[in-house]
Amino acid sequence: MSPRNSTELLNSKIGRRSFLKMGALTSIGAVAVCSASEPVVKATPSQLKEAYPGSKKVKTICTHCSVGCGIIAEVKDGVWVRQEVAQEHPVSLGGHCCKGADLIDKVRSTNRLRYPTVKKDGVWERIGWDEALDSVSAQIQALQKKYGPDSIMMLGSAKVSNEQSYYIRKFAAFMGTNNIDHQARI
Amino acid sequence: MANTLGYGGMTNHLGDMQNSKVILIMGANPAVNHPVGMQHILKGKENGAKIISIDPRYTKTSAHADLFARIRTGTDIAFLYGMIRYIVKNNLHDKQYLDERVFDWESIVVEAEQYTPDVVANVCGCTAEKFLEVVKLFAENSPGCLIWNQGWTQHTIGTSNTRLGPIMQMFLGNIGKVGGGCNILRGHDNVQGASDMANLSDILPGYYPINEGSWKYYSGQWQVDYEWLKGRFKTKDMMEKKGFALSTWPWGVIDDENAANNAGTPLKALICIGNGISTITMTHKTKEALDKLDLVVFIDPYVNDAAVITDRTDNMFLLPAASQVESSGSVAATNRSYQWRSQVVKPLYEAKEDHEILFEFAKRLGFYEEFTRSLKNGKPSYEWPEDATREFNRAVKTIGLQGVTPERMKRQQENWALFDPLTLRGSGVVEGEYYGLPWPCWSDKHPGTPIMYRTDVSVMEGGMGFRAGWTDKGPDGKPVVVAEKNGQTLLAVNEPAGSRFKGGHLEITADNIESFGITLTAEEKEKVKGKNWKNDNTYILVNKALEAGLCPYGNGKARARAWDWADQLPKHREPLHSFRQDLVAKYPTFEDKKDHYRTNIRYASEQNKQNWVADFPINVVTGRIVEHMGTGTETRASKYLAELAGEMYAHIHPTLAKKYGVDNGDMIWVHGTGEGKIKVKAVYSYSVAETDIFMPQNFSGLWSGKSLVDKYPKGTAPYALGENSNQVTSYGYDIVTACPETKCTLVRIEKA
Repeated sequence: MSPRNSTELLNSKIGRRSFLKMGALTSIGAVAVCSASEPVVKATPSQLKEAYPGSKKVKTICTHCSVGCGIIAEVKDGVWVRQEVAQEHPVSLGGHCCKGADLIDKVRSTNRLRYPTVKKDGVWERIGWDEALDSVSAQIQALQKKYGPDSIMMLGSAKVSNEQSYYIRKFAAFMGTNNIDHQARI
Repeated sequence: MANTLGYGGMTNHLGDMQNSKVILIMGANPAVNHPVGMQHILKGKENGAKIISIDPRYTKTSAHADLFARIRTGTDIAFLYGMIRYIVKNNLHDKQYLDERVFDWESIVVEAEQYTPDVVANVCGCTAEKFLEVVKLFAENSPGCLIWNQGWTQHTIGTSNTRLGPIMQMFLGNIGKVGGGCNILRGHDNVQGASDMANLSDILPGYYPINEGSWKYYSGQWQVDYEWLKGRFKTKDMMEKKGFALSTWPWGVIDDENAANNAGTPLKALICIGNGISTITMTHKTKEALDKLDLVVFIDPYVNDAAVITDRTDNMFLLPAASQVESSGSVAATNRSYQWRSQVVKPLYEAKEDHEILFEFAKRLGFYEEFTRSLKNGKPSYEWPEDATREFNRAVKTIGLQGVTPERMKRQQENWALFDPLTLRGSGVVEGEYYGLPWPCWSDKHPGTPIMYRTDVSVMEGGMGFRAGWTDKGPDGKPVVVAEKNGQTLLAVNEPAGSRFKGGHLEITADNIESFGITLTAEEKEKVKGKNWKNDNTYILVNKALEAGLCPYGNGKARARAWDWADQLPKHREPLHSFRQDLVAKYPTFEDKKDHYRTNIRYASEQNKQNWVADFPINVVTGRIVEHMGTGTETRASKYLAELAGEMYAHIHPTLAKKYGVDNGDMIWVHGTGEGKIKVKAVYSYSVAETDIFMPQNFSGLWSGKSLVDKYPKGTAPYALGENSNQVTSYGYDIVTACPETKCTLVRIEKA
C-alpha cells in the first residue's frame, strides 16, 4: 500500500523524540475514537488488509507551517477517512508534527463554522449566502460612496493558495484601495 | 534582506542544512515551530555540524544545541557587530568575496569597532567569554548557516537585524554557498506565497512598487484600462500611497488624526480573510477598533476569535470559507518552493472556497467581468486554479515565476519520490528540475534556484549574482537605476559560471542588452523596444540573457549600506520599553514617524514617556508552542491538539516567582504597558531568565479573567480557551515594515 521508500526516513532515527511520539499518538487516537462510535463487527481478512476498499489516495500539502510537509489523504466516497505519512516527500520524508498528523481534523472537526452567520441585536443569526453577500456588498458600496474607497480595510491571508492570494490583491486594487495586508508583518 | 541582497527569500533550503558544518540559530525555535524542518538540522548535527542557539530563552532548540548563549531581547545587532569585529580582527573574513561582491563593507568594519566583547556583554547580557565561544565556533567552521525567524523581525529595529545577519554571513563568504546561507523560517504555510502575491499594502504581485509604471503594467496584465483602474481610487496619489498594515490598521479606526493619512477618512469597515488578528500586539486596541467599525466581515473555516473578543452587537458577518484541503492550488514553502496542494474533499457544509467568495462579491460590486477577464485570457471561460496560476506565471517576472507552471508542479507532485532531499534535484522524468521550482525559475526550461546567489554554477543551473537594480534619487526626485554610488561600483567583479559576459552588469533592458555581446534581430528589437526584463511580455530579453548565461536582473554587489534608509548602516537601538533604561541615552530609538503605513507612530516620545522598567520590571518573551498555530483558532478546535496543550500559562523562573510569593501553579495577573491585563497560571521553569516570563501566543477565548465561550455562535467554540498574550505586549513597530515589537515587552505581575 505504501510506496517503496527510496530515501532514508528521518523518523527512523528520531522517533524517540517526544513531539513525534505525541504526533503518532494523536493519529492513532483519531482512528480509535472514530471506530469506537461504530457498531462492533468482526473484520474479514480482506478488511484487515484494506480497511477502505476502493478508496483513493490524494497527495496534498500540510496547511500548518511553512515547511510544507507532504500528506497522503485517503478518501472514500468523497469522505476523508484516514491520513498517511508521505514517506517519499523530499522535505518531510515521512515526518510529521502533532499538527500535521492531525490535519484530517481541520476538515472534520465538528465545531466548524457551517453557514453564514450575522450578529444582529447582540444575537447570532443564521442567514443565507445571498442575503449575506447582498447585505455586505450594499454596505461596502454605501461606505465607499460616503467616505471613499480608503474607508475599507482588507486583510488577506498567508493561509490561502497563491492563486487565491493573487486574487485577493487584485480584489483590493479593484476596490480602489491599498489598505490590504497579511501575516507577513507579524 | 531584500535591501541587502536583492531578494527577501530564504536563500537555501531545509535539506541543505545537512550540508552545513555549523548552524547558528538566533531568534528562532525550529524544534517547536518547524519540527520537521528541525529534523534536517539534527541530521546535520549527526553529520558533524555544530549547533549554536542564541536566544533569550533556553528553548527546545537550545536543548539540541552544542552551545547556548542567552541574550537580552532586542540586542542581536550588538551581538552581530561584535561577531564581525572579531572576524575581521582575527583575519577570518573572506576578503576576496567582500571585494568582489559587497558594496561598502568597509563602513561596517568601522561601525563594528565600538562593539568590543565587553560592550557586547554589557548590551546583550551574556558574558564576554560566552560571546567569544560563539563567534569562534561559528567563524572557524565552514560552511555556516544562519537561521532566524520572528525573533528577529518583531522589533522596532527588526529590519536592521535582517540586514546585519546577511552582512555578517557575507564577511564569512557564506552566502551563495552549499550548506551556508540565511535561512529565514517563515511562520504560516503560505507566508512566502502571500508575500509573493502581494497581500501587502506597499506592492503589487512580484514586489512591483505601487508607482504609475507598475499600475500601468498590471492594468495590462489584468486587461483593464489604466484610467478605469485609476478611477476606482480616490486619487492617483492614493493609488500610489502604501496602505495600512496588519499591525497599524486599528489606529486608523480609533485615532482620528490618522484620517489625514487615509484620504481624509477613518477606516469604517474590515473585511478579514483567513487572518488571526489577535496575534497583533495590544489586542485590546484591536477590540476597540472592532467595536467602533461600521461593518466587520470575517471569512474563515472556523469562527475567528476576534469575533468574540469584540463587544459589537450588530453588523458583523461570519462567512464560512473552505479549509485549504477542500481547495486546490499552489503553496510556497519557506524555501520558495511552490508545491501543488490537491483538493482532498469538496467543501463541507455551506463553506465556499475563498476565491468563490471574492467572485460573488465582485459580481455584486459590479466589476466581475473586469475582474475575471485576464483569468479567461481570451477564452469563453476559465479553469480554476490553473488559469490563475498561468496568470501569475505571465505577470510576475521580477521573481521569475514564468517557469512555475501548473503542469510542472503537478508532475513534480506525482513524482516527488524522485527528488534528492539534500539537493532537491530531480531524476528520471523530472531530471534536472529542483523540487518546487524554487524561484527565480526564469523559464519553462529553467530548473529553479534551490540556493540563491551561487556563482559556482551557471544561471541555467540556478546560479546568479546579487541584485544590480539599486536606485538612487535622480535630479527630478524620481528613482533611477545606478551603477555606482559615492564613487564605488555597485556591480560585481565576478560572474556566475558560464556567463558569456565577464564581470558585473546592470539589469537587462532593450537598450543595454547588445552591450553584453547579445544580438537581437531587427524584428526582436522592434518587439522589445523600450522594455526591460521586468515588463517584456515577449520574454525575448529574459530568454536571450539566459542563452548567454546572464541573470536577467543583472550581476551586482550586495549592499552593506542602504543609503535610502533611516539607518544607512544597521544600528543598535534600545527597544521602546527597554529593560535597560541606562542604555537608552546611548542607543536611543528613532524620532516619531508620521504617516507610517498611514499611521502616526510614536518612537522617541514613547521611549521617553516614563522610566518604564520602574513600573514594569519584568521582560516578556512570547512564542509558539508545537501543538498550536497562530491564534490557535484551527488547532484549538481539534480535540487531540486541545488535549495535548489545552491551557495557557506563563513560564516563570522560581527565583522571580519567590519575589512575588508565587507558587508553582498559582494564578497571576500580568499587566502590560498599554493597559491590557491577563490572568494566567504561573509554571516554574528554568528555561526563562530570572528577569523574564515566557507566554505562548496561541491562546484566545479568555479575556482579562472572563470566559468568552458564550459569545461564540452555538457549537463553534474551540475545545481549548486561554488568555490572549498579545493583550499585554507593548506598543512599538518596525521603522520600515511596521512589524509590531512584540518581542520586547515589559510587564508587571501580581499574584491573583
